[in-house]
Amino acid sequence: MGVLTEEIKQRGLEVLSSHGNSKLLTHLNSCVHCGLCSNSCVYYKVDADEHYVPAKKVDIVASIYRRYNTFLGKTLPKLTNARDLDETSIDELVDLLFGSCTMCGRCTLHCSIGVDIGYVVRKGREMLSAMGYVPKTLQATVDAAIETGNNMSISTEEFVDTLKWLEDDLQYELDDENANIPLNEKSKNVMYTLNPREPKFFPLSISAMAKVFYAAKESWTLSTEMYDVTNYAFFSGNMDEANIIAQRMDTEMKNLDATKCVLAECGHGSRAYKWEGPNYLGRKLPYEVTTSVELLAQYIRDGRIKLDPERLSEVVTLHDPCNLARSGGVIEEQRYILSHVTKNFVEMTPHGVDNFCCGGGGGQLAMSEYNERRMKIAKVKADQIKSTGASIVATPCHNCVDQLTQIDQHYKLGVKIMTLAELVADALVLDEEKK
Amino acid sequence: MATIELEEMVLEVDGDGFLTQPEIWTEDIAKSIAEIDGITELTKKHWAIINVIRKNYEEKGMAPMIRVICQETGVRLREIYELFPLGPARGACRIAGLPKPDGCV
Repeated sequence: MGVLTEEIKQRGLEVLSSHGNSKLLTHLNSCVHCGLCSNSCVYYKVDADEHYVPAKKVDIVASIYRRYNTFLGKTLPKLTNARDLDETSIDELVDLLFGSCTMCGRCTLHCSIGVDIGYVVRKGREMLSAMGYVPKTLQATVDAAIETGNNMSISTEEFVDTLKWLEDDLQYELDDENANIPLNEKSKNVMYTLNPREPKFFPLSISAMAKVFYAAKESWTLSTEMYDVTNYAFFSGNMDEANIIAQRMDTEMKNLDATKCVLAECGHGSRAYKWEGPNYLGRKLPYEVTTSVELLAQYIRDGRIKLDPERLSEVVTLHDPCNLARSGGVIEEQRYILSHVTKNFVEMTPHGVDNFCCGGGGGQLAMSEYNERRMKIAKVKADQIKSTGASIVATPCHNCVDQLTQIDQHYKLGVKIMTLAELVADALVLDEEKK
Repeated sequence: MATIELEEMVLEVDGDGFLTQPEIWTEDIAKSIAEIDGITELTKKHWAIINVIRKNYEEKGMAPMIRVICQETGVRLREIYELFPLGPARGACRIAGLPKPDGCV
């Protein structure tokens, strides 16, 4: 990173200076240091070092706030534990807020007085971002999205070629030339989105979803202009870039005149558009935004697709993505879907709203700087999976899929990681003539 | 800086174990990284995939799409995930000496 000039420092402090942001003020000033958050955090669970107590993250941000915004902090910093924003505190902030937090929100859920620790971490990241201290691997992913329209820099030509290739396969598999993957079609019911890692490296989930759309006789399309469901600026804390990415999705929805925007299996992407999108854009989204998890559940409920739960004999467990379940409120839908896919479902302990993070959230998967720590905290999830005895781990998030795949290798679990779309597609009972 | 130690040399890698200098890659380095991933023998199919990835990187500066890998090697999609249990990115691209791709991989 460059030299910390006064001007750069001011940019960071400006983020914390609240300007009547009563939410920030409340959460910075309310921690009672009870310590209940410590055991809720995967970092602390695997390494019971004071450094990893979530309240410490609130504490350091609050101490910098006090130094520059309160009378006592300005005049008697030592007495009020108010800290200067300097190279030393910035190093500590980067390590705590970027390097030791998956933004999973479990500490916030367990806080005895309701401090939104996750919000303070996000504000802290926003401050670091304003000063140019985002870890470079994380920033590279945001830059790719801003510069090329998707976070893996896939060209439109490569994207279209891949979808045509998948479409050919789908038509062959279903023996129907009407089975398709529509591109840029206007006035459809659904504009579907993707995580760029699907077309780039893991396209089975695209084929699976296309097969489900085919079975449900859905009117849908993908956009070649803006299909990337991710928004890594949500992790880096750069609000301008988060806004640009959300704006592109909104513009494409309008261009294609679709009825609803369906977000692919992506925890943070769902949160960043469905819940944070209106905040970024400063207005309500004038169309329905839903997740593919909710849509799949709806298809089953409405009888638009039929599934055979007998086909799969293996034991299946479920990993709830933090941003989708704890922060997004999607809890029952994935269980409802799985109950139609298998008769051998077993829950992890804990699960649902209280589930442990896989360790890959908060942009950790992109940040090579903290890889060793990421695999270390993953032990919590590895133990959880092992205890279920399941051989398939279902999870509606491509980021979690990657982390769980690494966990499987690292901790030698011998499990298979699958998205819900893949499981649903495998269980589909197609019309008589399509058998 | 993290490193991987081989018999005759020490390689600089990023935190995820991807080479920081892709140009120093050799077939022996590929074998060593594969071994770390638990792939004891690189078969003909492994090499076909590694070579396509390597060629694409040298020509275009990035990993190829999985479609290109499948079509140029003739290896079926599902088989690629079996050959490289960590997947095309963390598995195959790392063995082929590429820098870590951006995104959720």
